[in-house]
Parts: sequence; C-alpha cells; structure tokens
Amino acid sequence: MTRRLVVLAILLAALLAAAIAELALGAVKVPPGEVIDILLGKGHGGPNHQIVEALRLPRTIEALVVGAALGVAGAILQGALANPLASPDVIGVTGGAGFGAILIIVLFPSKIALLPIGALLFGLLAAALVFVFAWTGRNRGSVAKVVLAGIAMLSLFTAGTTGLLAAFPEKAPSAIFFLAGGLSSSGWENLTTTWPYFAAGGLIVLFLIRPLDRLALGDDVAASLGSRPQFIRLAAAVAAALLAAASAAIAGLLGFLGLVVPHVVRMAGRTSSQTFVVPASALGGAALLAAGDTLARTVRAPIELPVGPFMVIIGVPVFLYLLRKAV
Amino acid sequence: MEAPTDTGAGDYPLPLEAYGVEVEIAGTPIVRGADLRIHPGELVAVVGPNGAGKSTLVRAVSGLQKPSAGIVAWSGREVGTLRGRELAKLRAFVPQRMPVPAGVTVREAVTIGRSSQLRPLGRMTAVDREAIDGAMGRAEVTRFAERALQTLSGGELQRVQIAIGLAQAAPVLIADEPTSALDLGATIDVAGLLRGLVDEGLTVLLVVHDLALAAAIADRVVVVSKGRTVAAGPPREVLTTERLAEVWGAEAHLTEHDGRTALHVAWLGSR
Repeated sequence: MTRRLVVLAILLAALLAAAIAELALGAVKVPPGEVIDILLGKGHGGPNHQIVEALRLPRTIEALVVGAALGVAGAILQGALANPLASPDVIGVTGGAGFGAILIIVLFPSKIALLPIGALLFGLLAAALVFVFAWTGRNRGSVAKVVLAGIAMLSLFTAGTTGLLAAFPEKAPSAIFFLAGGLSSSGWENLTTTWPYFAAGGLIVLFLIRPLDRLALGDDVAASLGSRPQFIRLAAAVAAALLAAASAAIAGLLGFLGLVVPHVVRMAGRTSSQTFVVPASALGGAALLAAGDTLARTVRAPIELPVGPFMVIIGVPVFLYLLRKAV
Repeated sequence: MEAPTDTGAGDYPLPLEAYGVEVEIAGTPIVRGADLRIHPGELVAVVGPNGAGKSTLVRAVSGLQKPSAGIVAWSGREVGTLRGRELAKLRAFVPQRMPVPAGVTVREAVTIGRSSQLRPLGRMTAVDREAIDGAMGRAEVTRFAERALQTLSGGELQRVQIAIGLAQAAPVLIADEPTSALDLGATIDVAGLLRGLVDEGLTVLLVVHDLALAAAIADRVVVVSKGRTVAAGPPREVLTTERLAEVWGAEAHLTEHDGRTALHVAWLGSR
C-alpha cells in the first residue's frame, strides 16, 4: 500500500517538474519562479507573460491531457482484454486516425484545420467497425474476437494510409509530423473542439475501475459478482476509443505511450489493481508526454521536432530498467 | 422427474428452482432437460460422467450461461429479470480456477468480491470491511491475507475463491469442481470447509467428480446423464450399483462406514 502511494507521489512530482519545464524552456527561457508567478496571476503582462500564457500553457495542458488520456486508454484496454500487448492500436483507433488525417492532407490541403476532425472521426469510425464485428454473432465480446477484429481494421486503415502516401508522395513531408506524433503551439483551439470526447471517455473510465478489477479475476468471477464481462469490455473499448481518437486529433499517433506507461506503473507499483494502475497511468502518461515535448522543442530550437520519437527515447530506458527488475 | 408443484417449502420460495432447463452451445444441445431444486441449508452435489452437462447446467442456473429453454428462479424470481447486483446478493459462483492477476493480495481479491454489494462508485463502509474480515475468517485465509495471489498453493487459492464468494453475503454458494485440481490433503481441507459452512446455515451447490467425496459431504446428490437430470436424493439411495453401471458404465459399489466413504471399482472389469 505504502509502495503505491510512494509511486503515485513520485509520478505527481515528475508531472509537475515536466509541466514547469515545458512552460519555462524553449527559444525564450523563462525562470521557473516567474512561470509560477504568471500561473498564479501575478505576472506583469510582459513578453514572457505572453509566451507562457498564450503559447506554452495551452500546449502544456494539451501534453498533460493527451498523455493522461493515452496512459489511461492503454491501462483499461490491457485490463479489459487481459492482454499485455493491448493499446489503442488493437481497437483500430490509431489506424483510423492516421488514415483520416492523411485523407485531409491529400484531399483538402487548403483546409488543414480540418485535420484534427478527420483524425477524430476516422479514429472513432475504425473503432466502431471493430465493435460491430467483435460484438455480434457467436462468442460476441470475447477477447480473441476483439483483438482479431482490431488487428484487421488496423491493417486495413494502415494500408489505406500507405496507399495514399504512395499515390501522393509530395504530401509525405506534411504527413510525417502527424504520423510520428507531435504537439503544436496553436492555442486553445484543439482542446476546445476535443474536450467533450476526453470528458466522456474519462467519465466512463471512472465507472469502469471496479468492474475491471472484477474482470481481472476472470469472466466467471465477474459474472458471479453481477457484472457482464462482454459489456465491461465494450465499455472499456468505447472509452479507450474516445480518449485515443481525441488524443490523435491533437497530437497525432503516439501509440507507444498507451502501450508502455501502464506496464511501467504496474512494475513500479508491483500490482495490477486498477484502483492504482488507472490513476498512476494518467499521471505517468502526462509526465512522459510533457517531458518528451519539452525535449522535442528544445533540442534543435527553434525547430520543433515531433514528440513521438523523444518520448520513446525517454520511455524505453525506464521501461527496460523496470523489465529487468521485474523478472 | 419431480413435479414443479412439489416444492416442499411451504409458503417460502426455494433458494433455487429450475425446471426443464435446456442449454445449447454453438448449436449443440448440451443440457437437454434438467431440473434442479435446492432447499435452504443443504449441500447438493451435482454428479455425472464427463460431458454429461453438469457444469453447463450449474452455469446456466447461476446466470452465467443463457438457457435456450426452461425456468430458473432464485428465491422465486426468474433469473432473466434480476439485475446483476440483485443476483449477486442471491448466489455466489466459485469457478474451478480463477485467473490470478499480478500483485493483487488476498485481502484485495476478497474486497473485490464485496464490491458486488456496492452501488457504482459507492464507497466501502465499516459494515463492508467487517464482512470482508468475516469472509476471510470463515474461509480460513486471514493468516495469509496480505500475500499476493500468485504466491498461494492450489488449496489456498481455492479457499480464497470461496472467501470471495462468501464476501458476496449470498445465501447460496455454488462451486464448480472445487477440489478437482487439489491433492488429498487440500481436498479434505476444502471439503471440510464447505461442509462446515453448510452446518453454519449456508446453502451449497457443488459440481463434483469424485463420487466417494460427494457421498461423504452431500445431503443430496443430483445425477446428470446425457444432458438430463436422471435422479436426485440422498447419496446412498441414488448412487446404487445399478445406477453406477447404467450412468457411468462402471462395475462399482459405494460403501459408507463412520463417515468414511469408498468407491470399490472393478477397474479392469470382472475377471
């Protein structure tokens, strides 16, 4: 129990440190003390104030929200499907969102503002197709059926994405940033359009924590306790689809985060109890994405690189270290 | 077959009444017409050959498998009309072997069992915590309450599963082959635990393979053969030499003396 509280405290500290770094560092360095003053409304309206409040604050919040959402999406999918390899990829969201974004880039290059909407809609469409095939007919809602339908849909949409890029190679450069996964300093606009999806997904997750703990004891125990296993899995997949599609709309494809963060927190907390894993994955995902984005903006400043690869560079050593210790 | 009117329970509905239950799995009929009634405070063992449909029948009456025909009522209420949380308060189902999630302790697992009594997002009260301690005490798992499930032996894990069921505080506990994977000592442990719970007033329905064990601990046995219930009653009356030959195709007879039971089997036939 104490171990879990310590891990949660460390993750929270990491999150705060990463958020402050994201706000303070960049082409213009703002001292952390001044950042905190600005956040507390004690700023003086100078250029630093402008940079922190109008550019970096929305981006930091985006990083925290998307990181938390992907961490939670991975945690509940791994729990619901009892599969350590589950991530938003396996319910088709990532493939669909990638296809939707590239479709906008290729067909409506003048309306690039539509890109997040395209990613969101196609991400949800791919997930909906997975649900249709996995939750009908015999054995509906079984783990194997969900995973296989998800992999089929992922392959289908990924093939579409690759096909579009091959047909319009001149569009590839603008697509890379999205496919690699990256945030941008575009103010509050993205969050304004996507927050209902994050909120809906997060609300479902709150109600899922206890049923997922029951499901971890097997379908029969869950049924004995009055839960319906296929329904829990469907609710978890819907919540993960909302969170992951909204995340893709803001930050492109960051599949690694949803896959790895829940494992890291499980190994660190030495438990798979969802009461711990879900909040810890939210904190860990938020901290990792904010830290990765800080690096992505500063390594070759003023050029901003996609955050995806940086997150992997930070995440993999932590993951491998814990993997060695976890036996 | 027993007639539906012969419930023998006066004005009170029985904990479980099931008539004419049929179950199909993937188009194949597994249970073709089964009746099952349990009275308060008795231990009923469902016995039968492999593939006869014992487990499927018990899963169907427990609400884990949808029957294709028949009536199943818990305390007089049709199982299909009960909400999950209501059904969880009427019966607990203990599977043969549950998956073991990493790092989850015995106390946490029993707490998950108790969560069936809570509203969504409802918090545990002192009453719930008492019930959790009580369930662990009755199943004799308190000694290793803080250990992770992965570190337990088969017998200890089976007792934890029973504790999870007890935490539901349902009047009926159903267990599917609780001793099939256990060694002799652990089987004695679990059998004694279940019999003790019945003597304290719990009602228990078991699926059992071992006829000698069933005869020793059960008040009544129900014989399932080829998807039908073919006999029900006290073990000595039901598990006759003729029935063992007819249902199991075995040349065998059951003996009982001082609470010790044995099945004498001509393993290689008559010589």
